[in-house]
Amino acid sequence: MFQALSKTVRAPVARILAPRAVLVETVRGRKSRTDPKAKSKIGRIKYPPPVDPEEMVVLKERFTEYTLIMRALRMQFKEEMLRKRYDEETGSLAEARAKQEAEEHQSLMAWNNQENERLRKIRELRVQQEQEQLDRQLREVALARQQALEELVKEKELEILTLQEDAKTFITLENLDQRIEEALDNPKNYNFAIDKEGRVVKKTVMQ
Amino acid sequence: MPMKGRFPIRRTLEYLQKGEIVFKKPVKIMTVNYNTHGELSEGARKFAFFKVPQIQYKNPWVQIVMFKNLTPSPFLKFYLDDGEQVLVDVEGKEYKEITQHVRKILGKSDAVLQAEAQQESANPANFGPKKYCLKECMSEVEGQVPHPGLVPLPKEMTGKYRAKMAASSEG
Repeated sequence: MFQALSKTVRAPVARILAPRAVLVETVRGRKSRTDPKAKSKIGRIKYPPPVDPEEMVVLKERFTEYTLIMRALRMQFKEEMLRKRYDEETGSLAEARAKQEAEEHQSLMAWNNQENERLRKIRELRVQQEQEQLDRQLREVALARQQALEELVKEKELEILTLQEDAKTFITLENLDQRIEEALDNPKNYNFAIDKEGRVVKKTVMQ
Repeated sequence: MPMKGRFPIRRTLEYLQKGEIVFKKPVKIMTVNYNTHGELSEGARKFAFFKVPQIQYKNPWVQIVMFKNLTPSPFLKFYLDDGEQVLVDVEGKEYKEITQHVRKILGKSDAVLQAEAQQESANPANFGPKKYCLKECMSEVEGQVPHPGLVPLPKEMTGKYRAKMAASSEG
């Protein structure tokens, strides 16, 4: 309403006293732009409400003062907020805070590295122990294998010796005749019984 | 219908919202390397199974990648904004220890989280839908004129009474 008034008040005061023939813009409302005007409203001209010039002048003064103060307050608060935000993001406070955060980050990284070192030492120890155990196991296995081999060799040697001993009593082509003679001269009797202890119990008579 | 999976509690909102680790702004990628067998990797396995969903819920913009059976020992690696890489060895540690460690070096502290929560709470100066603001209309504030729909206005404040008075005084 006041904007409409201010348009007319710019004109000299005398013109305001006459009935204002300003055509106020039509507003759409219920009907569309193609609908015809109502028959009762064809000759109607809408006039804005009349204005008292003295009241107008006084009101204008008061309103300019009021809007001035309100705008000033608003701008001041806005500036305060913007300044606070600027300080937070890119002011000296922010730099100090960023530096402090960087320092904290450095110290935390150092602590993390210490932890890693500690774990590394533990791990190295463990790996070393495992390696030693593995070596020991391998050595033992090799030793056992060697011992088994030696024992085998010993057994074989014993066998060879016994065989050699036995070989002396073998019948060869040279002693063949001699052994035949001996066998014929000494007949052996295998018909005997033994008891549980292995002692010969009775013998049959040689025939 | 029962819940799906081995520990379906990990999928509940209540569990996820209880996550402790909120990463600082520079952290962009987290990589977890662990082995599927072996006692030394046990802590890392539990960490990946129980804690990673919570972390991802609280940090939706951090990429978390899991690698299995690539290295003999388990570790975590964080890739920061400025190219820095932070290696965290977790061989032989318990999964709670790992969480505490990670929270200490790269998580936001309790104080910071509280300050952020305070900042985010609704500004009482704003009026609007209940979802975003505390009050919808000035009539909801104590000491102000209540809504005429709930409590009828006194006769002197209604427009039609005033119009009637004005008409009767003029005419």
